[in-house]
Amino acid sequence: MLKITNLHASVFNTPILNGIDLEVKPGEVHAIMGPNGSGKSTLSNVIAGRDGYEITQGSIDYLGKDLSEMEAEERACEGIFLAFQYPVEIPGVSNMAMLKAALNSIRKYNGEEEIKAGDFLKLIREKADLVEMKQEFLKRAVNEGFSGGEKKRNEILQMAMLEPKLALLDETDSGLDIDALKIVSQGVNALRSPDRAMVLVTHYQRLLDYIVPDYVHVLANGRIVKSGDKSLALELEEKGYSWIEGLQEAS
Amino acid sequence: MIAADQTENWVAPHASTELLGSKLPWLNTLRKQALEHFEKQGLPGVRDEDWRYTNLRALKSGEYRLSTAKALNHELPSSDFTRLVIVDGHLDKSTSSGLNQHADEGFIVASLADAIEQAYVETAFGSTLPELQHGFTALNTAYAQDGYVVYLPKGSQLSKVLEVVFVHQSSDVVSHTRNLIIAEANSQCTVIERHIGQEGAVYLNNSVTEIIAGDNAHIDHYKVQQESADAFHVGAVFINQASGSQVKNHNIALNGLVTRNDIHSNLLGQGAHMEMNGLVLGQGRQHVDNHTLVNHAVPNCTSDEYYKTVLDDSSRSVFRGRIVVAEDAQQTNADQQNNNLLLSENAEADSKPQLEIYADDVKCSHGATVGQLDPKSLFYLKSRGIADAQARALLTFAFANEVVERIGVDSIREELTRTMAGELLTGLEDLV
Repeated sequence: MLKITNLHASVFNTPILNGIDLEVKPGEVHAIMGPNGSGKSTLSNVIAGRDGYEITQGSIDYLGKDLSEMEAEERACEGIFLAFQYPVEIPGVSNMAMLKAALNSIRKYNGEEEIKAGDFLKLIREKADLVEMKQEFLKRAVNEGFSGGEKKRNEILQMAMLEPKLALLDETDSGLDIDALKIVSQGVNALRSPDRAMVLVTHYQRLLDYIVPDYVHVLANGRIVKSGDKSLALELEEKGYSWIEGLQEAS
Repeated sequence: MIAADQTENWVAPHASTELLGSKLPWLNTLRKQALEHFEKQGLPGVRDEDWRYTNLRALKSGEYRLSTAKALNHELPSSDFTRLVIVDGHLDKSTSSGLNQHADEGFIVASLADAIEQAYVETAFGSTLPELQHGFTALNTAYAQDGYVVYLPKGSQLSKVLEVVFVHQSSDVVSHTRNLIIAEANSQCTVIERHIGQEGAVYLNNSVTEIIAGDNAHIDHYKVQQESADAFHVGAVFINQASGSQVKNHNIALNGLVTRNDIHSNLLGQGAHMEMNGLVLGQGRQHVDNHTLVNHAVPNCTSDEYYKTVLDDSSRSVFRGRIVVAEDAQQTNADQQNNNLLLSENAEADSKPQLEIYADDVKCSHGATVGQLDPKSLFYLKSRGIADAQARALLTFAFANEVVERIGVDSIREELTRTMAGELLTGLEDLV
């Protein structure tokens, strides 16, 4: 589904990623861990197509297409979803309006008809229950005045509504207390499916107790320095990121 | 001197015209004073502080004759409201449905020409004008030929929303319409002024509306301005408010080459409330100036002013919002907000809040911002699959919506949504 080859990328002309190779197949959940500044968030933003995040070398192939040729909205329509580390507050645009516009835009792109108003309401209520979000939040402006946990739950709600093929979760656990973490993880786990791949970007092992990955990759200085299964996350937790620095020097 | 040239240009062509109400001594006196005032000071120019951002060169280089009555030369879109149609500054009776000159339903809606001899017109005409008025207002008093008059006796109300459509279809004309809304105690009305122009027509629409709100009167006044893209619009709304009156003025500027609005409210009776809402959607070479004044003359009044400007292309706007709180106007509560959104690198917005507070026990707040669409918000929406144009439309609408949702007339709200976003927000109107 996703094949990243020798990816080098810059953020506003500062090189951050220095040769990443990664392959993600449908149904798989990959965790990307690493210390602050290692390039974890850059990787997910490059895949999502954020302005200023530029591929300088290498390629990202997604379902047989070259991602670098596609606008952010096109990538979303092709099934890529980024759950933001810092979800944006958008005063004046309701959650409902954004989601209806997004859903219909994706449907249109895929040659489907627009969703009927009644069906949309039914769908959004059902998905809101999944992340235990109160109905009143749907009518409120996107993330405006939401607590940290509510914002992250809102990200998962959006993911549930848009049913992506590839979900990138950028530090979804940051700023969450244990209750919110459970709700968010339940939501994510409910969305795991054989056709859907997920990439979790996280600093801490804690999230992986709730969302168990198939693969764990450790990123340092813009490169994947070690890959393994879920036990790698535990090892990392135990030895700390300084262990990684040692690995880098050795390699 | 430039001023003398201008004065001649504006006065000489009108000298031989037979003016409305020329046998009425009170009106002749007002006209004479206004003309003297105008001849002394001429039209304003960039050296006047209040006009320094307003480029009147194009206006001053033209020649304008006083407009004459014309029949409407095209059909207007249908409307749910009772309607007056004023063509080139004169009421067109054949297309006007809203006339009610005999107070059948307890109120009067008439043309100024028909009502000019009435006592309520004599009392109201010129009663709200500021002492220091600019040349355009003086010209309006000197040459007013027609306009609309709404007279609401005590406790009455307009049974339906009244829409007055000012159509300009001739070029090289100036029209000076004078409009009066006289609302006695406990009366109520909603009046929409819509100013439109034939595409390509070059004219000056110099319109003055005076609103006299009696005790506890409720008045919603809308002005939707869509002149031709080559036209000049100079509009003034002067309001006097008695105790407990509530007046809302919605000032919406959508088109025209140069637009200048002066909106003044005098809060003269305790407990009066003034709401001023403004929306400017600028494009092309459009220039829009809005100058507002809320004059808190007595204690215990409130005012709430909210102006939003969205500028595209090389359009320009000026907002100057004055709030004056007189020395004994204690317990005043006045708010003012002006937010400007620039959609293009060539657009420019100037904002000038001006608070003059002479009382000590008051609550006044003001804020002014100028900004662009937030790139983070734009990326967030696009990352959800929303196309660039629709994402921009959503954010632009969200910016303007705080003012749009204050509009009580559904059809105007819908019209503004369409104007801002075309079909891009279809199906989302109820959700944003």
